[in-house]
Amino acid sequence: MADTNSQFNSRWLPIALALPQLLLIFLFFYVPIYMAFFWSLSLERPFGGGAEFVGLQNYARVLNDAEFWKATWRTVVFMLIGSSLAVILPLILAVAADRRVRLAYPARNVLVWPKAVAGASIGVVFLFIFNPFIGILAPLNEVYPGLWQPGLDGTDAFIMLIIAHVWGGIPFNFVILLAGLQAVPQSFHHSAAMDGASAWRRVRDIQIPMVLPQLFLVFVLEFTESVTAAFGLIDAMTQGGPGGATTLLVYKIYVDGFKGYDLSGAATQSVILMVFVLSLAAVQFFILERKIRYER
Amino acid sequence: MQPASIAAEIALDAVEKSFGNTPVIPPLSATLGAGEFTVVLGPSGCGKSTLLNMIAGLEPVSAGRIRIDGQEVQDWEPKDRGCAMVFQNYALYPHMTVAENIGYALKVAGIARAERQQRVEGAARVVQLGDLLDRRPGQLSGGQRQRVAIARAIVREPRVLLFDEPLSNLDAKLRHGMRMELSHLHRRIGATSVFVTHDQVEAMTLADKVLILNEGRIEQFGTPHEIYHFPASLFVAGFIGAPAMNLIEVEGDGTALRLPDGTALAGSAHRGRAVLGIRPEKLRIAEDGLPATIVYREDLGSHAVLVVRLGSGQEINVSTPLGGDTVAADQLSLHLPEAHVHLFDPASGQRLNVTQGQVR
Repeated sequence: MADTNSQFNSRWLPIALALPQLLLIFLFFYVPIYMAFFWSLSLERPFGGGAEFVGLQNYARVLNDAEFWKATWRTVVFMLIGSSLAVILPLILAVAADRRVRLAYPARNVLVWPKAVAGASIGVVFLFIFNPFIGILAPLNEVYPGLWQPGLDGTDAFIMLIIAHVWGGIPFNFVILLAGLQAVPQSFHHSAAMDGASAWRRVRDIQIPMVLPQLFLVFVLEFTESVTAAFGLIDAMTQGGPGGATTLLVYKIYVDGFKGYDLSGAATQSVILMVFVLSLAAVQFFILERKIRYER
Repeated sequence: MQPASIAAEIALDAVEKSFGNTPVIPPLSATLGAGEFTVVLGPSGCGKSTLLNMIAGLEPVSAGRIRIDGQEVQDWEPKDRGCAMVFQNYALYPHMTVAENIGYALKVAGIARAERQQRVEGAARVVQLGDLLDRRPGQLSGGQRQRVAIARAIVREPRVLLFDEPLSNLDAKLRHGMRMELSHLHRRIGATSVFVTHDQVEAMTLADKVLILNEGRIEQFGTPHEIYHFPASLFVAGFIGAPAMNLIEVEGDGTALRLPDGTALAGSAHRGRAVLGIRPEKLRIAEDGLPATIVYREDLGSHAVLVVRLGSGQEINVSTPLGGDTVAADQLSLHLPEAHVHLFDPASGQRLNVTQGQVR
C-alpha cells in the first residue's frame, strides 16, 4: 500500500472505495463456497434443522453414483465441442472482419449484439428456431419424418444446446480476437506479403501465432465458463432431457439440490465441479501460457 | 549472390497516388538505374514511403506504370516483382527464430529444407549473424535485428532491394556502422537499391543518386555532388547541408546583387528580385567586405559556426576554421565568392543562375 499513498491522502480511503465490491465478493462468492464445503461434509436435512457431520461419506456416495459420471462425461463432451466451436467460429469471423471483407463493418457491429442477451433468453429463442414443427428444420421432418426431434432424441437436443451455446459465445470471443488481430502491426502483413505468403498463408503463419495470447485467454474463459454457463440454456430449452441426455453436471446439481432436496449431495457435486474448473484453469495457465510468451 | 547479373532497372512512368480525393503523389516519372543505389530523400509526409510501397506492390498505384527490368509490374502481386524490403521497425516475426525469419520466404516458395538451410546460412554470413540463428528477435539488440532484416531481404537474391528508413531506430554510433556495412553490402550484391530516408547524411553517404521529394514532386534527381553543389531549387538548397545554406533576399541591378539597404553582396548581371544562397562554409572572412556583427559563436572543435548579423538585420551562419581573428572579435567582414553564389527565383523557387556555382 505504501506506494499508492502518493495518490490517496488517507490510508483508509482506497480501502473504503474497494469495500462494496469486496463485500459483494465475500457475501456471494466466499460464503457460498464455504457453505458448500461445509455441507459436503455433513448430512443436511431437506427442510432445515440439525446437520450431522458425516466426514467423506457424501463423496463416497456421489463418486459411486453412475448418474454422476454420466453427467460429468456429458459436461466434458459439451465443454470440448462447445468451447472449441465457440472459439474457432469467432476466430474465422474475426479474421474475415480484420481482412475487411465486404460488409465487415456492419457485421462487426451486429456480431456483438448477442452479448446483451441473457442465456435463458437465447435458450427460448433457439427453442423456437429449432422447434421440430415450426422451426427452420421443420421442412426436414416433412421429407424424412423424425429426423429432427430435439424433444425425443438426446443427440438432437445436445446439438441444439451446443449451437445455442456457441452462438452466445461468439460476441465476446469475436471482440477479443478481432482486437488481437488488429493489434498486429501492418508491417508484418507487408513483410509476409513481400516474402511471398498468400493471404491464407499469412493467416496461418503470422496472424494466428500472433494472437495466441488472445486465443489462450478466450479458451481458458470458454472452458471454465461452458461448464457452468450452460445452466440457463438447459433450464430454458431441455430441462436436462430428453432422458437426461442434456443433464450436465451443473444442471444435475440444481435438480438434486432443489428438486430432490439432496442438499448434501448437491453441495458435494458443487465442490467437485469447482475443483474441476479450478484445476482446468490452473493446468491451462501453467502449461500453455509458458509456451506463448514473446515480445512483439 | 552473383553481383550485377540480377540487378534490374526501375522505370517510373507518370506514377500517381491519391488517397480518396487527396493527391499524395502527382504524376511522377524517374528511371532508377540498374545496380544503382538510389536514395529517396524528403521531409515527413512527402510521399517517399508511399512511393517505395508502390514499387514493392504494397500500395496500388492510382495511375501510371512501373517497369522493373522492362516488365510492367504495377498490377503484379508483391511476391512476383522480385523485390525485397527492409522495414523501418524491421518487422521480424516474433514467434520465429532468426533462421526461420530469414528462411520464411524460401519456405513459402517451397524450397527444400537442405537448400533453405544452406542459403539462410549464406545470407547470415554476409551480415555476420552466424551464431545467432537460433535466437528469437526479442533476444537481439537493435543492430542485430537490423542485420536479420537485411539477411531476410537478400536471401532471395532479389532484383531490387527496398529500404524504408531502416536506420532510423538505431543510435548514432550504430547508424554510422550500418551505413558503412550497407554501402559495402550494396557493392557486393549489386542489386538495384532504393533507400527511403529523411536523413540527409544517409542520403549523401550512401547514394549513387539522390531523389529529393517534396509534397510528392521531384525537386531534384542527381548525384550527391550535384545536389549539394548545384541545388535545383530553394527547397533543395534549404534541405541539404548542416548548417543550412544561407538564403538572403536581394535585388539585382545588372551589375551587383544588393541588400534592401543598397549594400552590394556580390557581382551579378541579374536584374530584379532574387534569393541569394551561399553555404556557411563558402563564406570567406576578408579584410574589407560586407560588415557583420557576431551574435553567437558555436565552437565545434574541428570548426566553429558563427551566427552573424548583417547591416540589414538578417542573421546568417558562417562556418569557419577555428582560431584566427574571429575568436575574440565582435565585428568581421565577409566576402561572398561569386562562384559559390546560388540564385533562386523568389516566386517559383527555381534556380536562376545555370552556369555559376556549378563547381565540379
